[in-house]
Amino acid sequence: MTQLMMQSLSPLLIVAFGSVLSLLLIAWHRSQKLILTFTLAIFVCALFASISLVLNLSEVVQVTSLMKVDHYGNFAFILILLASITVGLLSSAWLTHSVEVHDEFFILLQLVVLGAGVLVMSDHFAALFLGFELLSIALVGMVGYSRDSQYSVESSFKYLILSASASSFMLLGIAFIYSQSGSLSFAAQAEPVYSLFYSSGILLFLVGIAFKLSLAPFHLWTPDVYQGAPTPVTLLLATVSKIAMFVVLMKFWFSQSSLIVNANNGEISTLNLMSALAILSMLIGNVLALKQQNIKRLLAYSSIAHMGYLLIVLMIISPQSIDFAWQSALFYLAAYVLATVSLFIVLQFTQGNHVNADVDIEQNISDWQGMFWTNRLLALLIIVAVLSLAGIPLTVGFIGKFYVLSVAVQAQQWWLITILIVGSGIGLFYYLRIIFTLFSDVSLEKNASLNYSPVGSKLTPMMSVSVIMFTILGVVLGVYPDLLGNVLINF
Amino acid sequence: MNITLVMCSLLFGGALAWYIEGVKAQSARWIALLTVVVISFYFVISMTTAGLDFSALQVLVRLSWIASFNIEYVLAVDYLSLVLVSLTLFLALICILVSWQEIQTKTGFYYFNLLSSIAGIVGVFTAVDMFLFFFFWEVMLLPMTALIAIWGHENKHFAAIKFFIFTQVSSLFMLVAIIAMAAIHFQQTGKVSFFYQDWLTLALPSSISFYLMLGFFIAFAVKLPSVPVHSWLPDAHTQAPTAGSVLLAGVLLKTGAYGLIRFVLHLFPQASMEFAPVAATLGVVSILYGAKMAFAQQDFKRLVAYSSISHMGFVMLALFSFNAIAYQGAILTLVAHGLSSAALFTLAGVIYSRIHSRNLSYMGGFWQSAPRMGGFALAFTAAAFGLPGLANFVAEFFSLVGAYQRFPLLTILAAFGLIGSAIYGMVLFQSAFQGKRQQAEEENKVNDLSKRELLVFSSLLALLIIIGFYPNLVLMYFQNSELTLAITSTAGGQ
Repeated sequence: MTQLMMQSLSPLLIVAFGSVLSLLLIAWHRSQKLILTFTLAIFVCALFASISLVLNLSEVVQVTSLMKVDHYGNFAFILILLASITVGLLSSAWLTHSVEVHDEFFILLQLVVLGAGVLVMSDHFAALFLGFELLSIALVGMVGYSRDSQYSVESSFKYLILSASASSFMLLGIAFIYSQSGSLSFAAQAEPVYSLFYSSGILLFLVGIAFKLSLAPFHLWTPDVYQGAPTPVTLLLATVSKIAMFVVLMKFWFSQSSLIVNANNGEISTLNLMSALAILSMLIGNVLALKQQNIKRLLAYSSIAHMGYLLIVLMIISPQSIDFAWQSALFYLAAYVLATVSLFIVLQFTQGNHVNADVDIEQNISDWQGMFWTNRLLALLIIVAVLSLAGIPLTVGFIGKFYVLSVAVQAQQWWLITILIVGSGIGLFYYLRIIFTLFSDVSLEKNASLNYSPVGSKLTPMMSVSVIMFTILGVVLGVYPDLLGNVLINF
Repeated sequence: MNITLVMCSLLFGGALAWYIEGVKAQSARWIALLTVVVISFYFVISMTTAGLDFSALQVLVRLSWIASFNIEYVLAVDYLSLVLVSLTLFLALICILVSWQEIQTKTGFYYFNLLSSIAGIVGVFTAVDMFLFFFFWEVMLLPMTALIAIWGHENKHFAAIKFFIFTQVSSLFMLVAIIAMAAIHFQQTGKVSFFYQDWLTLALPSSISFYLMLGFFIAFAVKLPSVPVHSWLPDAHTQAPTAGSVLLAGVLLKTGAYGLIRFVLHLFPQASMEFAPVAATLGVVSILYGAKMAFAQQDFKRLVAYSSISHMGFVMLALFSFNAIAYQGAILTLVAHGLSSAALFTLAGVIYSRIHSRNLSYMGGFWQSAPRMGGFALAFTAAAFGLPGLANFVAEFFSLVGAYQRFPLLTILAAFGLIGSAIYGMVLFQSAFQGKRQQAEEENKVNDLSKRELLVFSSLLALLIIIGFYPNLVLMYFQNSELTLAITSTAGGQ
């Protein structure tokens, strides 16, 4: 292993080494504050390492045949680390409510990040599977972490069983692909192999990925698990796991140049399959979100729709647009992560105000009623985040949608564009409902019956600062997207 | 002239009003009024002293904005935008004056929304980078939706959602067309550009240009609105607060017409020519359908809303006739309808503040107790059905004369719309001001106009009369303008 390889892999190595050290730390002294600080320190170190990589690394580095470090993977890892830092901070607020010491939770968090990191840098089916399992198993532990909660067992078992079956599908798919191409490396798949085995291998492989990305029709676990998991873990599911899986999907997809080139001459079944997944996800996600009252369930369905929009960037028909597709996908993911993190921050903060914060309390949209008049800061953050998810200008989500539409127009995917427009039209119904709830008048008797203290001015200065920061970030990136776009374009 | 300054100070004034209201109650409206008055003065003065020839587009500011897509911040004005911006600022004053007493809750935030919506509209009329245009197009919707959703009447959320979804979904079609145009520009010149004047030089293949034109057309037809995508308008108007209705009818609908003129007709002249029969038919259907539906309404504001659909049909018909006279008629209709519908909606607001109902069957006999209001109401309904001497007459006459040269049959049908408008106008006036008030258990007396309302009504009426007698006040800017020439030459080339 050369110096360059070590350097380019340093963010991952920091996280891996850190998680071992954390185990030792627990053996030495159990303290939640200590482990939290240590976890955050690891993430921040890894973040700096990634950023310096983005600045200094000028080429793509192949680290053994398993991994390939490039700028896109690095950028995705930065996003993952940022989201994980938020998760760490949020969960520290949540875990204080219990008597126990929750060191293990943070170890699991580190393992999730490690798994995600392996995924975004993988260039080989073996690395992909390692990362995939690391991510899934650690997540299962986290989903069921709050044992007192009513849904804990249900959601963790659902996630465990479905995740396991998804990975077995994926393994079978990988085996099929291997049987035809004789290699597990992504790059080796570039040579087109036409056979039933190969196609069904790709199909099975995509099933595994689609499960993790909760693309329709593999989305059924999403709302239940989102609802049942503790809020910070839901955030982890919604951001880290989605980013990692999507990036690895793109790595695989774009290495299959046969998929792109052959789109012009008939052999388009995989492309068609992907379009079908995208269309189904956009429609089903948005339609099912319409009637949701629970905020987490609503976000679950909306994330299904968003993954559907994002799939559109895979439908390019010329290899020249690969770079632009990467930029679009990463920008869209960044916008999506920013909006999702903002909403989950609000969820966690308002949850803390419930009398019995130990147990996960269902948060419905109606709980946010009139928040604009009682707590303007939080409400503004919600508005920016929701508008961003809906893709309305002034917010970063619009630029993300602009990127995706640009890719789609270049690839001339008019059907997908139409479905995207229809989908976002349906989506506006529930997004606007959230915003109107914020503005409607507070009905006092209803809140009294809920045993719910209206979200007053209970934010600590720390919380207020973070809320303001996220609001400003959402708007500034929406008005001046070059701040992010230039980073992506310079790769 | 600095349009950026106008928009920023509108936003800033709105924010200030919002803040000040928290410090001292009832002060937001003064701040808002002051802001708009100062800005209007600034606008008029800088417009007259600018020394530029506005018969062609004059680029005022051009800065790079989003470099990765070569998107620029470009504002440009010509007479068309100047006239519409002036109308916007004038109606902004009217809006603030009609909200003076009406808005009693969350006042500061209300004026913030009102002013930021106006800032967005000014942006729409001046932006010539297409991405920037789209940006303003959407941004003006947000505060408008908030106005409906927060200060509206009983069914406000439904109306606001409907309004927002109609405009948003249709504008996504426009966004796709914009991106496709930029991509075509890239193919032809090797450079992405969203700049309007770059696009004018493109040679569009006719097969694509028809679909691109359609993308723009859908967005603007929804905004105009034209049958069959009009159904958001009656709901939005009925539920909006008075100032919201005034803004919607007076200016927001005009952004649709502006878009048709500036973008659909100029970017895609050939495709528009092909599409003209369909568009003109839609216009005529809007005229007749709007008039018929207006006649059937019991709700004062709903009636006026349907009459707006009818009047905007004239604009559509006139624009797609590719004729200089019709074009002038369309511009004049924009101004005249902006004034007259604003007046009628204000009247609805004035009556609502007195009897707390918009239902015509609860009205009647107002003339006895409120003769001044009655007089103005008669004048405004007369304006709406195109009485000679008032601005709408000239506007509709020009539109019809111009359109007749291209679509004789359709124009004859459209002329029936004038009869329809007289019928629903008289229905409106009679059931509100003549006869007996139907709910007799209440005291059969309404207060006459206050000084503030008198000021609003008389200024609107004065403008209607002035333009009615001297339409050249507006038309002189469009006599020989490049726009007219371009349109006639396209029509001649066919």
